Amino acid sequence: MLKIHNLHAKVEDKTILKGLSLEIKPGEVHAIMGPNGAGKSTLGYVLSGRDGYEVIDGQVELGGKDLLELETEERAREGLFLAFQYPVEIPGVSNMEFMKESVNAMREARGEEPLSAAEFLKKAKEACKQVHLPLDFLKRGVNEGFSGGEKKRNEIMQMILLEPKLCILDESDSGLDIDALQVVADGVNSQRSPERSFIVVTHYQRLLDYIKPDFVHILADGKIVKSGDASLALEVEKEGYAWLGGKAQEADA
Amino acid sequence: MSQWLEQVIARGEQANLTGPRLQALTALKQQRWPTRKSEAWRYTSVTPVEQLELSTESAAPASPTKIAGLDSLDLVFIDGVLQQQLNTLSLPEGLTIQALTTLNTEEHSATALFAQIKPAHHLFGLVNDVLAEQGLIINVAPGADITLPVRIINLSSQGKESHVRVVVRLGEQARLCVIEQGEGQDPCLHTYFAEYQIGAQAHLEHYRLALHTGKALQVGGNHFRLLEKAQLSSTLVAFGSDLSRLDVDIEHAGEHAKAKFNAIYLLGTGETFDLHSCIEHAVPNGTTEENARGIVGDRAKAVFNGRIHIHRHAQKTLAELNNRNLLLSRRGQINTKPELEIYADDVKCAHGATVAEIEEKALYYLLSRGISRSQALIMLNFGFIQELINEIPNAPLANWLHDKLRHKFSQMEVK
Ligand SMILES: Nc1ncnc2c1ncn2[C@@H]1O[C@H](COP(=O)(O)OP(=O)(O)O)[C@@H](O)[C@H]1O
Ligand SMILES: [Mg+2]
Repeated sequence: MLKIHNLHAKVEDKTILKGLSLEIKPGEVHAIMGPNGAGKSTLGYVLSGRDGYEVIDGQVELGGKDLLELETEERAREGLFLAFQYPVEIPGVSNMEFMKESVNAMREARGEEPLSAAEFLKKAKEACKQVHLPLDFLKRGVNEGFSGGEKKRNEIMQMILLEPKLCILDESDSGLDIDALQVVADGVNSQRSPERSFIVVTHYQRLLDYIKPDFVHILADGKIVKSGDASLALEVEKEGYAWLGGKAQEADA
Repeated sequence: MSQWLEQVIARGEQANLTGPRLQALTALKQQRWPTRKSEAWRYTSVTPVEQLELSTESAAPASPTKIAGLDSLDLVFIDGVLQQQLNTLSLPEGLTIQALTTLNTEEHSATALFAQIKPAHHLFGLVNDVLAEQGLIINVAPGADITLPVRIINLSSQGKESHVRVVVRLGEQARLCVIEQGEGQDPCLHTYFAEYQIGAQAHLEHYRLALHTGKALQVGGNHFRLLEKAQLSSTLVAFGSDLSRLDVDIEHAGEHAKAKFNAIYLLGTGETFDLHSCIEHAVPNGTTEENARGIVGDRAKAVFNGRIHIHRHAQKTLAELNNRNLLLSRRGQINTKPELEIYADDVKCAHGATVAEIEEKALYYLLSRGISRSQALIMLNFGFIQELINEIPNAPLANWLHDKLRHKFSQMEVK
């Protein structure tokens, strides 16, 4: 599904990813943990092709295609989805219009007919219910005035509607109370399938009680420094990142 | 002196004007024809007015656009001629509407306001004082809550000149919604000025849809006087044309009045729109919030002049004015100028004018969801004015405007 090899990337002349490698097979869930500033969000931005995030070395393949050759919107149409840590507010564009455009862009890429307004509305309402957002959220501006938790649930709703192949969830749990966390986890679990893979970026082990990962990786100073199974997350929970040594600890402070 | 203005004055002389109209004629004789050096017309040329060719041929019949779902009392002027018999209308209780022609003959509290709210320095306002033969005098009795919106429609056809005048008076605690809608695209000249006195604790919901476009020239104004605790919510939606100019004056004459004025302009290729607004805080404790947003297309030109004048005794005034513009092409032009004159010391006043850019974060968000770059730019650019459309309280009108603006926008190219 996804093959990242020796990825180096920089932002404004600062090298953030320093030789990151990771392979994810269809249906797998990989958790990435690590101290603040390790480069977790940067990885998501680089994979999705955000302007300003420059790859200086390495390769990334998604479903056998060279991901780094593609524009941001093409990557999305290849099935890459990033749930943002801080989703942006766009007051002048309604959630409904935004999601209809994106769902239809994906359909077009797959050679399917666009959904009519009524067909889309039906799907959107179901997704809205699934993440426990009131229906009037569809009419409001994209994330406009949403609470932190509502923004995160909106990201999950988009993931459900867009049916991606690879979902990267960037701290979709941070700032959530236990009920909201459950909603997010249920949303993710409902989408698990043998064809779909997940990268779950989180700072806390807590989320992984709800979304059981197949693998856990520790990202520190731009590299994967340790990989293991779900028990690694519990270890991190107990011991923090102190064992990583001076540099990463500093970043955590 | 221009030939055009001379000809207006000559027509005024022949009309045996009296009262305020005669005064206007006298004032008009003192006026100079604007040039690039005239402050009020620095960026907008009036030459198209002089070059307009009039036609005596009768115009093709026109009919006003329907606004789906909007129930309104429609008063239609075609080339300045009212199409209805006012005495056949059945009006809600508390609302009276008279023709402007009764101005000199009938005593009416609203007629006394003619040319009293509109400042005398607007050149085309004076022209309208002198030439407007048709128009409406609308009066809302104290305490009357008129829920049916009054829609005043002006349609202009090829080669026609028209001058229409409206004077509205809301009594104490009265409520009214007025929609003024002007349309035309062939060469023509339309002036339309409306004066509003909003009585104590009265509430006016007002819309000016200045949709003349193409070769249609339109110059007009909306002039509001707010008495104590009066409330105004006004929305202007404008297209541009070879010449499209509006002057909006809001005068806080009574304390604790609230004015909210939103302006949206969408200028297609080569179009001009010029908005001058002037807020006068003459008394303490007034509130004004003005938001003007424009999208300016290729070779189009927007002029915005926003003046706030807070008089010496107008303490505790809250005034906010914001103008944001989005340029779709390097060949578009925006002239925006704030003018703050504050003579009171205990006031809150904010003023901002910007030429906006699409935020990278917002664009990236849409792209990351598979939306094409060109479609994302359209959504974000349009979103810029959609924010103000969302604030329109009348839902059918908001929907209609959304579709109309969206349609026009979809034909504009982002360069
Ligand atoms: N736009 C940027 N300009 C400069 N430095 C940045 C930028 N974005 C992120 N960084 C830096 O990159 C490092 C990694 O950030 P980030 O990927 O957000 O970490 P994480 O998500 O793991 O907390 C941090 O040191 C951060 O300060
Ligand atoms: Mg992060």
